[in-house]
Amino acid sequence: MKTLLIVAIVIPLTLMAKMNVAVSYPYIGALVEKIAQDKVKTTVLAKGNWDPHFVVPRPSLISKLRRSDALIMNGAQLEIGWLPPLIRRAANAKVNPNAQSFLNLSHQLQLIQKPQSVDRSLGDVHPDGNPHFHLDPNNILILAQSISEFLMRIDASNRQEYIKNMELFTKEWKTHLLRWEERMKAKHGVEVIQFHDNLAYFNAAYGLKSIGTIEPLPGIPPSSRHTLELIKLIKNEKPLCILHDVYHSSKTAQYLVDKTGIKLVIMPHDIGALNSIDSLVGLFDYLTKAIDND
Amino acid sequence: MKKSIYLALCASTLVFAEAPAIKPAAKRTFSQSQFIPDISLVVDTAYAHRSEDQANLSALGIPGMVEDFFGQAGNTEDEHAHESYSSDDGFNVNYAELIFSANVDPSFRLDSVFHIGQDSFEIEEAYFTNTALVDGLRIRGGKLLSNFGRMNSQHQHIWDFNEVPLVYQGFVGNEKLNEIGLQFQYTLPLEEYVIVGAEISQGDNARAFGNESLTLSNGKEIEGARTPALLVSYLKTSFDIGDTTVMPGISFLRGESRSLDAHEGEHEIAFDGTSSLYNVELTIKHYFDSYSFLSWQSEWMRLEKTGTEYHVENGETESVIQKIEQEGYYSQLVYAHNQNLRVGLRYDNIYTNRYKFTEEAVPSEPYERYSAMAEYHFSEFSRLRLEYTHNSALYKEGVNGFEAINVNSVILSANLAIGAHAAHAF
Repeated sequence: MKTLLIVAIVIPLTLMAKMNVAVSYPYIGALVEKIAQDKVKTTVLAKGNWDPHFVVPRPSLISKLRRSDALIMNGAQLEIGWLPPLIRRAANAKVNPNAQSFLNLSHQLQLIQKPQSVDRSLGDVHPDGNPHFHLDPNNILILAQSISEFLMRIDASNRQEYIKNMELFTKEWKTHLLRWEERMKAKHGVEVIQFHDNLAYFNAAYGLKSIGTIEPLPGIPPSSRHTLELIKLIKNEKPLCILHDVYHSSKTAQYLVDKTGIKLVIMPHDIGALNSIDSLVGLFDYLTKAIDND
Repeated sequence: MKKSIYLALCASTLVFAEAPAIKPAAKRTFSQSQFIPDISLVVDTAYAHRSEDQANLSALGIPGMVEDFFGQAGNTEDEHAHESYSSDDGFNVNYAELIFSANVDPSFRLDSVFHIGQDSFEIEEAYFTNTALVDGLRIRGGKLLSNFGRMNSQHQHIWDFNEVPLVYQGFVGNEKLNEIGLQFQYTLPLEEYVIVGAEISQGDNARAFGNESLTLSNGKEIEGARTPALLVSYLKTSFDIGDTTVMPGISFLRGESRSLDAHEGEHEIAFDGTSSLYNVELTIKHYFDSYSFLSWQSEWMRLEKTGTEYHVENGETESVIQKIEQEGYYSQLVYAHNQNLRVGLRYDNIYTNRYKFTEEAVPSEPYERYSAMAEYHFSEFSRLRLEYTHNSALYKEGVNGFEAINVNSVILSANLAIGAHAAHAF
């Protein structure tokens, strides 16, 4: 009888005790789900088809943060325009940047393109370096590792589970890495144009060379003068294609296509950026195939 | 010869080698530069052209609400009222706003906004925030913009039009409810966003409230209000339907009112009573993508003032029981095409203005204003705005009563910000 009572009390308690982890972007949510499986509930704040720099700070996100037990963000100032006021308005100590249950992923790896000097005449620069590091599939393992360590720290009761899932994920991911490596081998040294340098890590991983961006400076919309210079550059250098994100208007890119005949390739940056991208593997399958196809 | 040059070179390298290298701030002993708070500076400057010349403008007001609309002196007691923005014909520097903020310690955060005008300096906001006490509870204390209604807490640089809506200008004044006191705001632990808030403050706002004791020209004294004299409460919620966000809210304010309208050589009017202000707001914002949206925003307000009104003429005091009822709303539509282009329309209407008036009849309502604007954003940090306004809420008070004067304005304004990255407003 007594044990029955204990079971009756403890089971709902453990169900209730399931942690609610908020994450800024869908890719982080996918990693948490891979490692935690059903041990935590994941809440993704940003939509995958939005510009990660300009997530709409809807009030509903405040109530999501209000009820979260932990927060994992990308960091490196990618969330600077939208997340800080939401955190403050949620008034939840567990999602405060100084809390144990807060993880800034950008602190876990070496960022590239850290500017020597910072000045807004150079556009909307990221002082800590390029924040789009998750697009190097090799970095995904580092990020997964720090997420698993983070989960173990804040939820020691499921430690074994997290270790086991991390091992499985590492094994699975490494086979994919080999596959993508193989697929991208032929593309080494290929020159490309981008809208914004958000594929810097992907390009570095596979030896693609970005020779220009459609925006004249980071965060500054295309100008006609810069576009004319790009046409000249494309005609001279003959880059393979334009790699374009899903959230900026492709009007200028289309103009470049019309003027120079260069190919336009849409490159999703996160899960949900395109309807067909529903997992991390799916994301990199798409990215490595997108350039393979032409 | 060669040897001496060589020696000189060696000596000079030695001399220069001795020059101490300046280390980066982070490596200097006792350096505190890492603790510099977030600082930003916002400057707003404009060119204005109006259908009336400057001399005529200063005589215009909204009957029973604003005495000097373009100077916005409003009440003679109100020394620190903001001037109305871009009120001079030609070039204007509206303000430079200096913003500092940082965490104080694990318990507090400090925010301050200094509003610097052509010849004025004002603490617009200076408040601490504590969020560590109870989950979901935010406590603020100091001087702050009340969270009453939708627009009251917003600074000029995030308004969609150059001026606050007519209901704000008429009922609480250009500087809105900007009070010294405490604010408690609680986010309910629900799936949906629901916040409740309560504020208690001094009630210095001279347009609708005011707390000071008054002395009339004939020596009659009116006792000041016991401070804190102003209470605000609000309930706001928000929910999403796909990419559309709906934000309704209601706010209520009650406070003591003491005001004095003195005109040289004319009669004096003093008011001693209480004011209630009601606000219903609704914003519906639809996002087409990360940058493009259509937003419809409206607020309805009702001001009730009841109390005793004292009229002093030729040394004689006459008192009447006064009840003032004023009601109005605004409705605006803003469309952002992309990161650069934005256009908007606003309609303002004050449709009730009832008060006992001893001399002239109150001009019949509605008092209306139409505004249209187009903005170009060069980046997140700079924007140009062209705005056209047709204001038919303005009257000139003369010996024969009120005379309606319509004012058309064209204003080209530039707003620029440097320093710390301000968060995007919703």
